[in-house]
Amino acid sequence: MNNLKIIEQEWLTKIDKIVTANKLEEVRIELLGRHGLLNDLFTKMKDLPSDQKKQYGQELNELKNVFENAINQKTLTSTQTITGKASIQLPNAFQLPKLGHLHPITVTEQKLNNLFRDLGFSIYASPEIDTDEYNFERLNVPQNHPARDMQDTIYIQEPDYLLRTQTSTIEAHLLDECKDKLPIRAAFPGSVYRNEKVNRSNHFIFHQYQAVVVDKNITMKDLIGTMDLMFKTLYGPDVVVRYRCKYYPEVEPGVGPDMQCFHCHGAGCPLCKYAGWIEMGGSGMIHPKVLQKAGIDPKVWSGFAFGMGLDRWTMAQTNIKDIRTLMGGNLAYKPNKL
Amino acid sequence: MKLIYSELKKFLPDLTKEPQTLRDDLTMIGHFTNFYEKIDDEIVFDLDIKVNRPDALGYYGLARDLSVYYHLPLSLPRSIVINSSAPKLPIIIDSADVYRIQAIKVTNIKNLASPQWLQKVLKLHGINAINALVDLTNYIMLFWGIPNHAFDTAKTSDQLSWKNSDKSTKFTTLDGTNLNLANHELVITNQTEPLSLSFIGGQNSGINLNTTDSILEMATYNPVRVRHDWRQLKIVTEAGIRLEKELDSNLIPVAFNHLITLVSDITKATIASPLFDYYPTPNAPLAIKFNPAIASKISGVDINTNFAFDTLNRLGCTVSTTTVTPPSIRHDLTMEEDLAEEVIRFWGYQKIPTNQPLVTKNYPNITPKILFLIETLKDKLISLGYDEVLTWPLVMYPKDDNAIQTQNSINADHPYLRQSIIQSLKIQVDQYDRLKLFNTQLFEIGKIFSMSENKYIEQYALGMYHYDQSKLTTDIQSLNLKANFIGNFAEIILDDAPKPDSYTPKNQSNTAIELTSQMQILDANITLNQEQDPKKLIEDYSQKIGDKLLWNMQIIDIYHDQKENKYRYTFRVTYYNTDDKTAKKIHLQTFDLLKK
Repeated sequence: MNNLKIIEQEWLTKIDKIVTANKLEEVRIELLGRHGLLNDLFTKMKDLPSDQKKQYGQELNELKNVFENAINQKTLTSTQTITGKASIQLPNAFQLPKLGHLHPITVTEQKLNNLFRDLGFSIYASPEIDTDEYNFERLNVPQNHPARDMQDTIYIQEPDYLLRTQTSTIEAHLLDECKDKLPIRAAFPGSVYRNEKVNRSNHFIFHQYQAVVVDKNITMKDLIGTMDLMFKTLYGPDVVVRYRCKYYPEVEPGVGPDMQCFHCHGAGCPLCKYAGWIEMGGSGMIHPKVLQKAGIDPKVWSGFAFGMGLDRWTMAQTNIKDIRTLMGGNLAYKPNKL
Repeated sequence: MKLIYSELKKFLPDLTKEPQTLRDDLTMIGHFTNFYEKIDDEIVFDLDIKVNRPDALGYYGLARDLSVYYHLPLSLPRSIVINSSAPKLPIIIDSADVYRIQAIKVTNIKNLASPQWLQKVLKLHGINAINALVDLTNYIMLFWGIPNHAFDTAKTSDQLSWKNSDKSTKFTTLDGTNLNLANHELVITNQTEPLSLSFIGGQNSGINLNTTDSILEMATYNPVRVRHDWRQLKIVTEAGIRLEKELDSNLIPVAFNHLITLVSDITKATIASPLFDYYPTPNAPLAIKFNPAIASKISGVDINTNFAFDTLNRLGCTVSTTTVTPPSIRHDLTMEEDLAEEVIRFWGYQKIPTNQPLVTKNYPNITPKILFLIETLKDKLISLGYDEVLTWPLVMYPKDDNAIQTQNSINADHPYLRQSIIQSLKIQVDQYDRLKLFNTQLFEIGKIFSMSENKYIEQYALGMYHYDQSKLTTDIQSLNLKANFIGNFAEIILDDAPKPDSYTPKNQSNTAIELTSQMQILDANITLNQEQDPKKLIEDYSQKIGDKLLWNMQIIDIYHDQKENKYRYTFRVTYYNTDDKTAKKIHLQTFDLLKK
């Protein structure tokens, strides 16, 4: 307690004496940054006896608020100093007007949204915290089914509440909501979560895009034709895609689209793991049991669903090698060209 | 799973396809084959097996599919007649988790090293050869897809018993892992101690070169029990991967006979008991109502009835005019749509046209209005100069007691769901600072999470950061939004904001770059005799540096020396993804500063 008070006094005095915005920013990072003092103190919490942890945590949160307030009250524009000296942007300087940028994942999502809107699809969404029922049961993956191992789940409250592992969970909500409003066409981008250690190649969060149709007399020909249109929209008219038999519990028959490797053109290389093809997601005709679980009669209605991950594709498009770059990492945007 | 071409040909002797054709055909009919390679004069394929096809976890299941696809006869290995007058094995089954067991005792085993061909096959599958008896049990598992086991009866006695553990017991696996059993695991005991689990053997009954007498067994179990056991004990084995799925109990007689035949041939063992066969509830065949027209209805292309019936027949189904009964090895076929998939995959997905997408139709638009708001806001924010970032929704610390914590995240240092976008946006700003990327304007639209009255609450929030706090305020006013300001950050809860009824999309370009090092920021002065268009100057000097290194160029000062009538332009150049030495070198060359 005493130590925290000493720290508080020491740093408040420092903050008070700061006269430049840059120095203030340095101090903010030193105190509140990811590797800053406060985070160090929070890390030490694990070494305390359990009966002291709660109080120590509260005191640290209070200290954090004190520092944040002190810094915020002193925040200055970074091109000015406290003494009001001239900024670097003198009246005679020349600077292009700045335009912002959308994240490359958003750019891809918008491209797909636009395509599907033109085909009469709505854009849809559902919660990221979801239930076992919508994430698994309604998608034909009962308890103890080996298919659950295909997705390592992050639980909020095991076994009932979890962070959704796939955009098919959104499909389960869509079917539920629209069972009495058929036919329906909807597409949905979404963040999904897996219990993966974050490193250069894996992340706990990634982005998928899914499209769903329920109507009368929907066929695999509709599915494959529509997917092919999507791949041509994304990759250009010369893209080579094959459609093969693939298993997903929520579809029957299942279809796996593979794109011919854009690097080796089918010859086999490290990028495509020497297969010559790159798996582009999963799809198929919505399983009759999935329709039934939503209260839709599979003898009357049929439909298709397809989904694909956006992260790997976006990385390839933007020459990003480290998946962490996409989420709060080293992603930046080049200023506008003249 | 690995697949050796020469082993596959034991089931399909007439198979002559080129490896590449075989790889592509296996993939198209549902057994994704990454690649094949030549190792030790053998062609070895690398396959991903579908979760719903446990039959394909053995050569037999894959060969059955290929025999249908290529119209080739399937050849089964030689079998022997088991005719022993010795006493029956005193095996006791005391568990409902046992579906079927066949067992037999063999004696006078000469357990030496395996023959070369067997060692080679196991090696290509990544399995170490140990001795002939153990190697044969592994080989049979690969060949037929059904795990099996051998007990050294000198160590165990003949009185084997299958039961669920009912008290705390210690057990050491073959590889020396010590386990505590206390959770109804399925065990095989000799009445006094556990000898094996369903999916891994024990050290106390292991086969070695001195083994002369053994009980061989092959079994199928309740897959849920096996799955529970290996997950609980955190031990993954090839046997567990197979037994956690619905294996074909009816395949045991032929697969087990093959094991006995090979053991007799290779170890010269003598059969010393009658065949023990426990199968209390034989699989009941499932007759599925089937109309062959369904394959055309689902695929959208014409597939003729004869093809449908012929395919199902060759798959081993019993076909009548109205029903189809799948073979017991195909537990995955339970409804008409499953049969339709079989017909379509052998007919060929590649024959379905790819140029007939859905035609545009006007359906009621059910898009939630908040999504219109989000897309509209994103367009407005980039026109105001903000760059979009995506940050982690999991954070290190809670904001208050209403934070939601994950239970099992392996990224244990980030256990909380963010309660504010600013929590994670600050981390992004820190990162840009480290990279010396200054004067940033950022935004993120994403979910924030909290608990309220024991419910999980999710809201859409817009987080913004501007290096100039006053500009941030003006920008938010121009968006007609109410924000919560924290210094140079602002947060707006979008669920509460007014929402538009539609959204008109705009096409956006993408200039995202992965930064691999700090920015290098260098200034340069050039003095000219005449006033110049600054835009033209930036264009010219930018071209000299090139896109690969130049992040940004500004003229930050223009000074007119009236006495000398000269113009001095001060450039500020930001270089990216390069080191300071390279940046300085390019900078000096570009602005001719070396001469000066």
